[in-house]
Amino acid sequence: MKYLIIGNSAAGVNAIEAIRRLDQQNNITVISEENYQIYGRPLISYYLSGKIKYKNMFSYKEKDFYTKKKANLLLNTKVNSINTKIKKIYTNDNLSLEYDKLLLATGSLPFIPCIKGLKQHIDNKKDSNVFTFLTFEDSLRLKNKIKKTSKVVVLGAGLIGLKVVEGLSGQVDNITVIDLSDRIMASVLNEIEANMVKSHIEKCGDNVFFKLKTGISEVRNDTLLLSNNTVIDYDILIVSVGVKPNVELAKNAGLKIGKGIIVNNYLQTSNKDVYAAGDCIEYEDLFSNNKKLYALWTNATRQGELAGYNMSGIKMKYSRYFAINAISFFGMNLLSAGITTGKDIHNYIIESSINTFHMISILNNKLVGFVLINCPNKRAGIYTTLINDGIDISTLDYDITTMKNIKFSIYPKKNRTKKMWQGAA
Amino acid sequence: MKKIYSFEDKCLGCKLCEVYCKTARSKSKNIIKANKEENIDSAIIVEKTNKDTHFALQCRHCTDAKCIKACISGAIFKDEIGIVRYDKEKCVSCLSCVLVCPFGAVRKSDFNSTVTKCDLCFSTGKPLCVSNCPNDAIKFLDEKEIDDRMEIVK
Repeated sequence: MKYLIIGNSAAGVNAIEAIRRLDQQNNITVISEENYQIYGRPLISYYLSGKIKYKNMFSYKEKDFYTKKKANLLLNTKVNSINTKIKKIYTNDNLSLEYDKLLLATGSLPFIPCIKGLKQHIDNKKDSNVFTFLTFEDSLRLKNKIKKTSKVVVLGAGLIGLKVVEGLSGQVDNITVIDLSDRIMASVLNEIEANMVKSHIEKCGDNVFFKLKTGISEVRNDTLLLSNNTVIDYDILIVSVGVKPNVELAKNAGLKIGKGIIVNNYLQTSNKDVYAAGDCIEYEDLFSNNKKLYALWTNATRQGELAGYNMSGIKMKYSRYFAINAISFFGMNLLSAGITTGKDIHNYIIESSINTFHMISILNNKLVGFVLINCPNKRAGIYTTLINDGIDISTLDYDITTMKNIKFSIYPKKNRTKKMWQGAA
Repeated sequence: MKKIYSFEDKCLGCKLCEVYCKTARSKSKNIIKANKEENIDSAIIVEKTNKDTHFALQCRHCTDAKCIKACISGAIFKDEIGIVRYDKEKCVSCLSCVLVCPFGAVRKSDFNSTVTKCDLCFSTGKPLCVSNCPNDAIKFLDEKEIDDRMEIVK
C-alpha cells in the first residue's frame, strides 16, 4: 500500500496523522510546491507585522514531524499530471510516483480579477510591485519590498486584504483599501457590523483609507485608473479579492468538478482511490442545499483527518459544515459562525454598543448563527456546538435569546453530566 | 488517562476549586498572592444551574479535541499522555479555540491576550482543585472508572 498526498498544509498534514494512527507500516509520500514544512497559513500576516518571527513560523508541528510519522516529504515539487488508470503521478522534475490511495489537498489559489494590465504585472513575479497574499513566500517577498515611504493599495476588503492592512500598518506611508462592495468583509458581516470593524481599523491603523464602491479599471506601472476615472499612485499593489479552489490537476485527471472538486461524505472523489480535502473541494452547506466553497483552516484540518482515516480503511462519515470565523484586527475580535440572514431567521441582539455587538440567529427553534464583536470573554464554542448539533433550544434549561453570558448549564442535568463525563467525541 | 470529573449533587458552589486553580496557575503558588495580587484566571469554572445547584467544569481533554483542529499556530496540542496543553509562546490570540470548544472551557484571559484552559496540573500530576474540594464534588479519576458510572446518567 502506498499513500500519496499532494499538498502539505492543513488537510495534508492532518491526513498524515490520521493515517499513522491506523497504519504504522505503509509508505506515505507528501508533495508540496512550497519550500517549507507545514506552517499555519493564517500566520503569514503575523509574520508581515513582525508579531511572529521567522523561526516561529513553523510552530504548527515539531521539526521532526515528518521523520516521526515516517512520511517522505518532497518540497519544491510540482505535480504536472495524474494518471488514474495506472495510478501514477508525474512531477515537474520528471519523477513518476505510484500510489494506491491518493489525496488531493491542493488548497486554493488567489483569485485574479479581469482588470486591464493586472495579469502581466502579477506574472512578472520577481520584480513586480504587484502581490497576492496566500503563501509564506508572498509574505517574505512583500516584507522585503516595503519601505517606510511606500504607498500601498490593497484591492479587496475581505479577510485577507484587511489582515494585510493590519500587517503593514505603521511600516509604510499609507494604505488605501479599494473594494467594489459598499462595505468591508461583505460575505461575513452585515452593514452595522462592517461599519464597526471599519471604524476600528480607521482609528487604529496608521494612515489607512477606504475607497468602497470603487473598482480598478486599469493597472499601470506606478498608477491605477479607478472606476470613477480618477488616477492614484501606488508603490505596492496587493490583490486580495478572494481565493478559488485549486482544481486544475483534478480536472485534467478527469475527476468530477463542480465549484470545487466533488467528493462524497467519505471525501472520495469520482475516482474511488482518489480523495480530496480542504479548500480545493466543494461541500454541502448545513443550511442550504447548495454546494459551497469554504477556505477555512478548521474545516480543512477536519477533512484532512477524515480523508486520512478513510484512505487507511476505516469508514468515517462527516457532513456538517458551516462557515466559522475567528478574526481579529488591531485587537478587535470577531467571532462568528453559521448564518444570520435568510427566510424566517430571527435575530436577537443581546448586547450592542459603539464597539461591541452580540447577536444570535434562530431558525425553527434552532440556533443557526451568531456574531460576537469585541466580546472575547463569551464562551462562543457553546453557541458553535448548538449550531453543529442542531439542538432544539426549547429543550434547554435557559432561554438563550436573552442570555448575556452563555454557559454550559443551558443543557439539562442529565445531558450536561453525560457530555462532561464523555468529553467531545 | 485520568481526568477531572464533576459530581453535581455534591457541589456546594463554594468556588474553592477556582481559588486553588488560580493558586496552581500562579507564579508564587501562594494562595493569597495568587488571588489578591497576581492577575490569574481560573481554568475551572463553577456554574450555577436554573435549580440553584452548582457544578464545576474545566477542559475535558477530548479525545478528538476541536480546539487542536482549530488552532492555526500549534499552540494547542495533545501531549504523550493525552492532556490537551497550551503553549502561550506560540499563540497569536486568534481565539479559534474559544470559538469551537463545546464546553466553553477554553476561554480568553480576563487579563491579557492569552487563553486559559486546564492542563490537569500536569507538572505535579495532582490537580489542586481536586485535592482541596471539601465535598468530593470533583474527582481525579481514570476514564475507565467513569465508564462504569455512566449508568447513572444513561
